[in-house]
Amino acid sequence: METNYETIVIGGGVVGSGIAYHLSERYKEGVLVLDKKYPMSGTSGSTQAWVWVHNKTPSWYAEFNMYSAELYPYLSKKIGDVEYKRTGGLSPFFNESDREKAQKLAESYRKIGIKIKVLSREEVLEKEPYMNPEVAGATYSSIDGNVNPFRLIDMYMRAAKRNGVRYSTYNKVTEIKKQDGKYSVVSDKGAFECKNLILAGGTWSREIGDMLGVKIPVNQLRGQILVSEPLKPFLNFTISGLRQANNGEVLMGYSMEEAGFNRATTLDVIQETANMAVQYVPGLRKAKIVRAFSGIRAMPEDGFPILGKVPGHENLYVAATHSGVTLSPLIGTLITELIMDGETSIPIDRYSLSRFG
Amino acid sequence: MDKTTIICRCEEISCEEVEEVISNGGRTFDDVKRITRCGMGPCQAKICTSMVAEIIHQQTGLSPSEIPLPRMRMPLSPIKLETLATNSTSFSTVKSVLDEVELEEGKVR
Ligand SMILES: Cc1cc2nc3c(=O)[nH]c(=O)nc-3n(C[C@H](O)[C@H](O)[C@H](O)COP(=O)(O)OP(=O)(O)OC[C@H]3O[C@@H](n4cnc5c(N)ncnc54)[C@H](O)[C@@H]3O)c2cc1C
Ligand code: FES
Repeated sequence: METNYETIVIGGGVVGSGIAYHLSERYKEGVLVLDKKYPMSGTSGSTQAWVWVHNKTPSWYAEFNMYSAELYPYLSKKIGDVEYKRTGGLSPFFNESDREKAQKLAESYRKIGIKIKVLSREEVLEKEPYMNPEVAGATYSSIDGNVNPFRLIDMYMRAAKRNGVRYSTYNKVTEIKKQDGKYSVVSDKGAFECKNLILAGGTWSREIGDMLGVKIPVNQLRGQILVSEPLKPFLNFTISGLRQANNGEVLMGYSMEEAGFNRATTLDVIQETANMAVQYVPGLRKAKIVRAFSGIRAMPEDGFPILGKVPGHENLYVAATHSGVTLSPLIGTLITELIMDGETSIPIDRYSLSRFG
Repeated sequence: MDKTTIICRCEEISCEEVEEVISNGGRTFDDVKRITRCGMGPCQAKICTSMVAEIIHQQTGLSPSEIPLPRMRMPLSPIKLETLATNSTSFSTVKSVLDEVELEEGKVR
């Protein structure tokens, strides 16, 4: 296998493969993606995969997510059907007292171009007839949707490979050296050399950073999901908490726990998830659960993406974030711009690693 | 096995589709599952596991003991959601997206 590349990406999840694909659109130099297992074995294979914008905070972060969501229709034209659906997103609330907060959110986001409606109980039930009639209201935005994460990564990989990107899977990076202005990336299957190195190791970013003496403050945050048997299509929207996939399965869950790299599913969180699901959509009571899974989010210490050049290290880039499914088209676009043009079309200074000092 | 032999009856996945994943670098049942949905059907891989392992063995030369079994997850057989629910409406690990929206001096940050 060729050992010299212009650019190497460590990590082939949705973030790394998204970058590799976007690079390959404009870039004719050699690109190699290294993954210690097969892409999707990390967080990208155990996710809800909402393309979610409307109630992320603060507003500049919601805006960043919006730009990425807007790239999705075009992306699916380019790489093929990734089952992206702009369903619209619904966040229900069960206490009337939440309405004021919801209205404040709608007011301030109107200014940045994210249209949010605050729905009455009747309006919620009209949109989503199976929602619990005890709902007080919901925030709604048409910008939100969801995607099939497996198809997304598979399509990114296929398109990238068609454009000449090489993948080396089941190949763990164990050491990184800087020699004569180049990076030497030592892996289970030998050493590779490159000019540009992109770290997209997701929840393993900290240990990859350590190989270069760079601190990438990313922690682990577990989430657990329940999956139902395929049901006839009955949910119209991506609800913040559950969604119905194309094949009829309902994916339920929105949980956060610190459990390191332990990908177990636990009864307490499964029960809480079941409670949430029946509170939102009581009709799910009789639905059969066929599977539970958990995934480990990469959570930067301050909760926001870490993107761009690594300060003090020439030609070294990092992309580590949660919400990587939503953000992958934008991250891929921006990192490509950074490498090819030296600057980005949207400022990303506030996402620099330098903020951690 | 013929290319068109159905390996996963629940999801109707053929031998050819499984082989493609392996030739693209996949090595485990879970790699095959994530890309093709083989094993995600109602029987949750009870029927197709061994045939997929056989294909992986044939294509990669890995011995059966080197091919990890699919991760078994709760519930081992389908169970009604109401059996799992405890009817509590207080949540700790499960979050509501709106609760995460914080107001600062009456304004969204
Ligand atoms: C339960 C849950 C629900 C979620 N819901 C959503 C959602 O609705 N919407 C959304 O946008 N996001 C969601 N997320 C987050 C999203 O899934 C992640 O942000 C995204 O998958 C991260 O992609 P990634 O490529 O950075 O990480 P990964 O997919 O983990 O990729 C990192 C890759 O790096 C490889 N790697 C690591 N170390 C090495 C090494 N030393 N050598 C070689 N390779 C290495 C790994 O094998 C892995 O494949 C959710 C996450 C969870 C857990
Ligand atoms: S035969 Fe594959 S899931 Fe049932």
